[in-house]
Formats: sequence, C-alpha cells, structure tokens
Amino acid sequence: MSDLGHAVRIDLPDHLWQEIIGHCRRKLAGDFLPGETPVRRAYGILAGDLEGEVMTVRLVLPVKKNARGVEPFKTYMDTVMAEHAVQSTTPMDRRGWITDPEELMACFRRIDEQGFTAFGTYHMHIVAWAGDPTRDTPTRLDTVLARNSNLVSFIISMVDREHPTMRAFYEGRPELEIPISITG
Amino acid sequence: MARIIIPFPFRKHTANQREVDIQGESLSQVIEQLIQRYPGLRTMNENPALLSVFVNGKQIQGQAKEWDNVPLRSDDEISLIIPIAGG
Repeated sequence: MSDLGHAVRIDLPDHLWQEIIGHCRRKLAGDFLPGETPVRRAYGILAGDLEGEVMTVRLVLPVKKNARGVEPFKTYMDTVMAEHAVQSTTPMDRRGWITDPEELMACFRRIDEQGFTAFGTYHMHIVAWAGDPTRDTPTRLDTVLARNSNLVSFIISMVDREHPTMRAFYEGRPELEIPISITG
Repeated sequence: MARIIIPFPFRKHTANQREVDIQGESLSQVIEQLIQRYPGLRTMNENPALLSVFVNGKQIQGQAKEWDNVPLRSDDEISLIIPIAGG
C-alpha cells in the first residue's frame, strides 16, 4: 500500500518517541550540531513498516538544514506564507522551514536502503495561541504546505515542555487524523 | 535507458515502484516521458522551480527549461526530489 491515507493507526515505539522529544528539547535549548542551521525549530522524517492499515515507526531522521533562506525556496516560502501564515511578531523570513534537496535525498536513500517506507514529517509547535492553547494540530499553513504530499504530518506540541504530545494528520489535514499508539 | 528513482511521496502514482527505466536522450525528454507514462506524477511538477534533480548523485543546476541541454547516458541514475516544508 503506497497511499498512506488508508492507515488507521500509527505505532510509535517509546524509545523513538523519546528520540523525537530529545531532538525538540535540544533545538529549544539552542544546542546545535555541526552543519545544522541554527534555528530553534525541530523537524525531521519518520519512516517504518506499513502492514495492512497500521504504520509502525522504525526510524527517526532529524533534518539538520533549513533552506528557508535559499532560492528558489525562499521565494516560494515567502509567497505561501504571505498568503496563509497567521500574523506574528516574528519576522516572516524567520518563520517556516523547508528541506535542503541534498539532505532530503540522503534521507530517502537511507530509508530505501533499510527497506522502510517514508511515512511523513514531524515538526514542533512551541507557543500557545489565543484560542489554541495546545497547538497540537496543523496550522492552515501546515495544511497548504503538505497538500498532495502523500505524507503524514506529525505535530509535536512543546507548549508544555515537561509534557509534550504528538498527533498525526494525513497531508496535514485536521479532518484526517490518524491515532498514534506509543508502544513499549 | 536511464533509471529514475521515484521519490517516496509519489510512488502511489507508480504502483509503488521505487525505480522506473525510461528511454531518452536528455533530462527534459526523460522527465516528460516519465510523466506521460504516469500522469499522476504531474503533481510533482506543479511548481517546477521546486523540483531538484540529481544525476548519479550530482545535483543539476538550473531549472526545467534548461534541462534540454543535459545529455544522459544509458546507465545514468536520476533522483527527483521535491522539498518538504512546514510552518
């Protein structure tokens, strides 16, 4: 099955959940790796096995680079964000993320080599909004950027840093949530 | 016959095939024929500026309109990458 929209459940082993949270906390602490774009944003790729209608996450691949300031991605992101991003005091050019092609190709190659399927991307939301205190769902911008992606958007709420949560939405569409089960 | 590696998100349009062999003398010809064979892949080219192409692991600079000038050998491996983004 290559259309992930049919999945009914995602199993996420606890040690991989901890790896994702560790990535988010490291970025929030401003602890950047060599070659990593120094931004307090955590995002990455999740891959694993697809059996019937259940996805099991087997691999977490944090993404290091952000091509947000590199053409032609800068113009694309500026345009999409001007139309769909909510108002914020953060300057537009410091908002949003987009993968570097070479790094993404390396991620996909590694996933292929291990015989897994790329399920989707994860990224964190860190600030509560008026009317959205948990921020555990995709923003309108997330939905637009994930359109036709055939990937699941995993949204990690780091609003409460001690108790992070994660939810998953096919193509970032709020009406297409796939339940996540954290397994031992 | 060049070999094209289909990016994960688009494999639903190629019956889950990871790679597809396509005849063509230039990069643009091969991509055009790929889309003719699998019309669902047209979405991959919705915004041509975002499509990155690698031949044998080396990124081809420039945009789609310039790919007529990129000759291919029969054993070339082409990877297509569409970036992933979020807010």
